Amino acid sequence: MQGNKYWLYKTQPVYERLILAGLIITDTLHWRHSGIMHQIKQNLKKSFFLIFLFVALQYKVLYLKIMEKESQPLEDIKIIKKMMEESSRFLSLSGLSGVSAGILAIAGAIAAKLIIPDSIITGEGYSESFGASSEGITIIKLLFTDAALVLVLALASAFFFSWRKAKRDGKSIWTPVTKRMFLNLAIPLAAGGLFVIITMGHVPGHVSASATLIFYGLALINGGKFTFSEIYWLGVIEVLTGLICLLIPGYTLLLWAFGFGVLHIIYGLFMYIRYKG
Amino acid sequence: MKNILANINKAFENRIRLGIMSVLMVNDHADFISLREMLEVTDGNLASHLRALEDYGYISAEKKFINRKPNTSYRITREGEESFRNHINALENLIKK
Repeated sequence: MQGNKYWLYKTQPVYERLILAGLIITDTLHWRHSGIMHQIKQNLKKSFFLIFLFVALQYKVLYLKIMEKESQPLEDIKIIKKMMEESSRFLSLSGLSGVSAGILAIAGAIAAKLIIPDSIITGEGYSESFGASSEGITIIKLLFTDAALVLVLALASAFFFSWRKAKRDGKSIWTPVTKRMFLNLAIPLAAGGLFVIITMGHVPGHVSASATLIFYGLALINGGKFTFSEIYWLGVIEVLTGLICLLIPGYTLLLWAFGFGVLHIIYGLFMYIRYKG
Repeated sequence: MKNILANINKAFENRIRLGIMSVLMVNDHADFISLREMLEVTDGNLASHLRALEDYGYISAEKKFINRKPNTSYRITREGEESFRNHINALENLIKK
């Protein structure tokens, strides 16, 4: 972590001392063979030069040392912040996950529009007998398959893009933080899923749709503690969309597509630009 | 100047120790392997710094077996939390100067 600089300033002075000592010794060995005064002169010159070099290097090292000391608190704080963030938040969540989930949701909503007969959309919304009729049951089954398919594909794509981002950053995807995040996401999500499945056919369609939005939003608010804090606000908006969906039955599909489609795409693009991935 | 430096804790001068303390500040506990992955250090290096922090009484270790494999999990002590908070404050004061 400390880099090569430490190694340099720790070892360099010793090296220089050795080189200096070595040069002086070899020079004294030469003395005997030629004019001694000339040699002493030469030797002094050389020594002065070497001492000068030595002192200059020492100063440079000292200077470097001072620089390190001064920038150290800032560096330390940066490391502390980085480690705290990385160890408590899942930062590999890719913005592209949001975009792909949004596109899949819109595709799912279009499919749902094709599945549901116009008479129900334009009509009075919900009639007691619809859930019990054979036609109604097939439609509900088809819609359920549609929603489940969107969910599975969206999760798969979220996982894929996050995995890719983690690989790019050289981070592992399955950490204690990810586990905690999944658990916190999964509890409200599973509760919501069960609620929708159990009440299916007994409640109007817009109630089911708004329940998926509300429970999903709550899951995001809960799981957001372990990833980017922006997720929290996405969750809040999802919950609000769900409540509006409950209040205006006529626009169920449109609001559902807005909540799961448009919001995800906007959020995903925002995150992709903001966090570069 | 002197009283600011007095709060700088020698125990945290090393970057690896800083990392260990930071991770344990925000996580209830962390095991050896996840610490090693997060800090990107070798086993021996990490172990020696963990032992040093343990000797200071700043972290506590708990050994247990998961699927018959030994697993050591570390958590921060009350003293460690306090000392580390003081250290961070001291660092921030140094920067402000």
